[in-house]
Amino acid sequence: MATIQDFSGYNPTWCPGCGDWGIGISIKSALVQLGLDPSSLMVVFGIGCSGNMNDFLNAYAIHSLHGRALPNAIGAKISNHKMPVVAIVGDGDCYGEGGNHFIHACRGNHDITVIVHDNGVYGLTTGQVAPTAQKGFKSKSTPSGIIEVPVNPLTLAISQGATFVAQTFAGNANHVIEMIKEGINHKGFSLVNVLQPCVTFNKINTYQYYMQHTYKLPADYQKDNLDEAMKQGLEMSKEKFPLGIVYQSHRPTFTDQLNQVGESTLLERPRFTQIETLLKEFE
Amino acid sequence: MKYTWKIGGEAGFGILTSGLLFSKIANRHGYYTFDYLEYPSLIRGGHNALEVVVSDEDVKALKKDIDFLVCLNEDTYKFHKHRLTSQSYVLYDPDEFTIPEGNIIKIAVPFKKILSDLKGQLVMKNTIAMGASLSILGSDLVMLNDILEKLFAKKGQEVVGFNKQFALLGYDHVKNNFSQQIRPHLEHRDSEEKVVMTGNDVFALGAIIGDCRVYSAYPMTPSSTVLTTLAAWQERTGMVVRHAEDEISVINTALGASFAGVRAAVGTSGGGFALMVESVSFAGIAEIPIVIFLAQRAGPATGMPTWTEQGDLLFAVHAGHGEFPKMVFAPGDIEEMLELTTKAFNISEIYQTPVIILSDMFLSESHKSVLRTYIDQLVANYKIDKGKIISPAKPSVPTATPAAPAIQQSLGQTPGTISPSQDTKQPPVESSTQPSRNQVPPTLTAVPPTGADLQQAAQEKYLRYKLTGDGISPRLIPGAKGHFYQVNSYEHLEDGHTTEDATARKQQVEKRNKKWDTYLAEDFEAPKVFGDMNKAEIVFVSWGSTKGPILEAQKLLALQGKRTAYLHFTHVYPMKKEQIVPLFPNGKKYVLIENNSHAQFAKLLLMETGIEIKEKLLKYDGRPFWPEEIMEHVTRNM
Repeated sequence: MATIQDFSGYNPTWCPGCGDWGIGISIKSALVQLGLDPSSLMVVFGIGCSGNMNDFLNAYAIHSLHGRALPNAIGAKISNHKMPVVAIVGDGDCYGEGGNHFIHACRGNHDITVIVHDNGVYGLTTGQVAPTAQKGFKSKSTPSGIIEVPVNPLTLAISQGATFVAQTFAGNANHVIEMIKEGINHKGFSLVNVLQPCVTFNKINTYQYYMQHTYKLPADYQKDNLDEAMKQGLEMSKEKFPLGIVYQSHRPTFTDQLNQVGESTLLERPRFTQIETLLKEFE
Repeated sequence: MKYTWKIGGEAGFGILTSGLLFSKIANRHGYYTFDYLEYPSLIRGGHNALEVVVSDEDVKALKKDIDFLVCLNEDTYKFHKHRLTSQSYVLYDPDEFTIPEGNIIKIAVPFKKILSDLKGQLVMKNTIAMGASLSILGSDLVMLNDILEKLFAKKGQEVVGFNKQFALLGYDHVKNNFSQQIRPHLEHRDSEEKVVMTGNDVFALGAIIGDCRVYSAYPMTPSSTVLTTLAAWQERTGMVVRHAEDEISVINTALGASFAGVRAAVGTSGGGFALMVESVSFAGIAEIPIVIFLAQRAGPATGMPTWTEQGDLLFAVHAGHGEFPKMVFAPGDIEEMLELTTKAFNISEIYQTPVIILSDMFLSESHKSVLRTYIDQLVANYKIDKGKIISPAKPSVPTATPAAPAIQQSLGQTPGTISPSQDTKQPPVESSTQPSRNQVPPTLTAVPPTGADLQQAAQEKYLRYKLTGDGISPRLIPGAKGHFYQVNSYEHLEDGHTTEDATARKQQVEKRNKKWDTYLAEDFEAPKVFGDMNKAEIVFVSWGSTKGPILEAQKLLALQGKRTAYLHFTHVYPMKKEQIVPLFPNGKKYVLIENNSHAQFAKLLLMETGIEIKEKLLKYDGRPFWPEEIMEHVTRNM
């Protein structure tokens, strides 16, 4: 049984009080509780404060380019679908630069777990606005307040075919752990959107703010009800943030539907050598 | 014997299919062919044309004179009449358009009447034309009928019979009315077994031979048929083909797959490659193997999508911000495409770098005869070489309970087999899949499978970016128990951890750069020389698909008594100066030939070797070179 220590790499460099600390320890705890060890999973990191976790979390890992973690994760999963694949990304990373990949990863129901650090700003580039920031948010790149309305990760994911969509809050480590475990256990594309204060560059969306603006989905919430899920997701536009599994459904994953893999992974299967059979059509 | 048969008509009516059919029939009769298609970037309404050069010996270029022109519409005649001679045959329907009296041989075929008499569809005009063509060439309908039977077998004998009668009517019409004009150019002759393939077909085939298991692409002319061919094969070959949302996803899907241990490739044209470029740089620093197929078309931007150009050479060479090693190969014909594609998959794994295969529309979409023995021999001789790979012979699990399978790698095997993890003591054993390469540096070799050294080795942390003499750090496929590492787009320490330390930075830059030195010493190939350098007055210098036209031009010039040689570059980047400079002795007249306007290869050659070529023959109208225009250039300037 691996321990949290086994998953711990170099010492983190996040700001004191940053939500990333809570997310970081929650991810490690979730992996330990799932019985995984650093050799048994692949993790792809984007670029940003969230992606810097690459150095602090032991695993077979890719520290990718900004925005490109999801296609890397999809490729890794296709290669070896028996290993869990997790993408750890930021809001600008995943919903901005990599927005197109996000939509299509949902559609494909690729069996990867995407953990998004959603803090409304670009921390690593010192505080420009992120696509999840509330309309009017003032930042270095939007001194008069952002004109656009925020991306809604929950309804976007649900409407594009994601089969697991959860939201959690970095201030509640136990809940983050629970959502990550559920997400990794889910067979199919899973999104865990983690609301997270940036203590340095976001003075609006603080711990206090999220305490006041989040609500837990009720115990009898029907997470397989698409209409209800969209309704809960849309509460975000009123600055009310649901916490919990907003939507979960089941359909075959991308690799489930590939006849090329199955019992054997793409990596393990024997090399194809019947070249002559391919030449017939050229005679 | 060599002649050109050309068919043209309105786009969307089967011209290209008929052309391929003609190539295949000629090959089955024992001839060699090379074809070239002209089509606009639209599905209906434009003009399509396809020409086939037929010869009794290997052919890899076009010829300017058209010997048989089949006009399914007037445009065909109008667009191509300047290539007709007094010996040219023109098959056309006088009911559709008239050809003024002139110096050609007219073969009138009543396409329109046959179609309306039998109530045939417009596309069946092709079948009549094929029958008429085979007739004027003194051939028979056996193979055409055979193909029609196979094509329509599913639709029943009635449909087969219906189609066959169009071929027969075209055939009989010519036989009965133009028996004096028949030129027996397509009779059966003995020949080796051949297949008819395009550059794209051969790249796809090479990818399969090279054990590529993930191919990711977004359709873009002229690379798209690689995607469709590999997709059509995937249930048979076991390859996974992903048509991703954009080219950025395409290359990153492949990089993720490659990281996880399988061979992966992507294919595109210039515009798509432009989107991939940041990730080429990523592959460079993270040291993830990848093969990139770049089929050039006439740019810039959307350019002329269905026409040919060698305009992306310097773009490919310089693709990617920052400094990192990559290799660029440029096959000149179908055979070289197969050779270099299969080599590229080895090179990209051995050096853990991006390898770009540069094609262009002319090479990618032209069909050529390929001897089966050539392919069979290449397949038989090809060895998968994954370079330096650490193989945990038995899983070693110092810390955790095994949850995932350990990957076992053994000599000559790809990518390995699952072994139950039961032994927690034995450490990784390093091996190269091709020990003869002798690339494993001393510190990594000769690790015995058991013993005290191993106990120690097991406790050593695996270093993804270990500093080595040849710049190549052994790879470890993710999943091996007891290990983990990160590949990193940031500069990193030997273990992959992000760093900004000056010394570590310098070491890693130098480590990566060393891979080029190793490549130049081990795997670079100097240009091929065609002709006698000692006797030649004129030396052509070129790369890529200009090879066919230049070789043909050499033959034409030899007939005029002109002695030429030709330096044909395939390993275009990086270049080994010491091997290239001696190939350029003083006192020769060098002529650079390229399908672009900037003379990109001349610049590259100057940059890499200091050799400057002043005389250039450049073509950038979207069309490939005619051997004749190369010949005329020489004749004019000497």
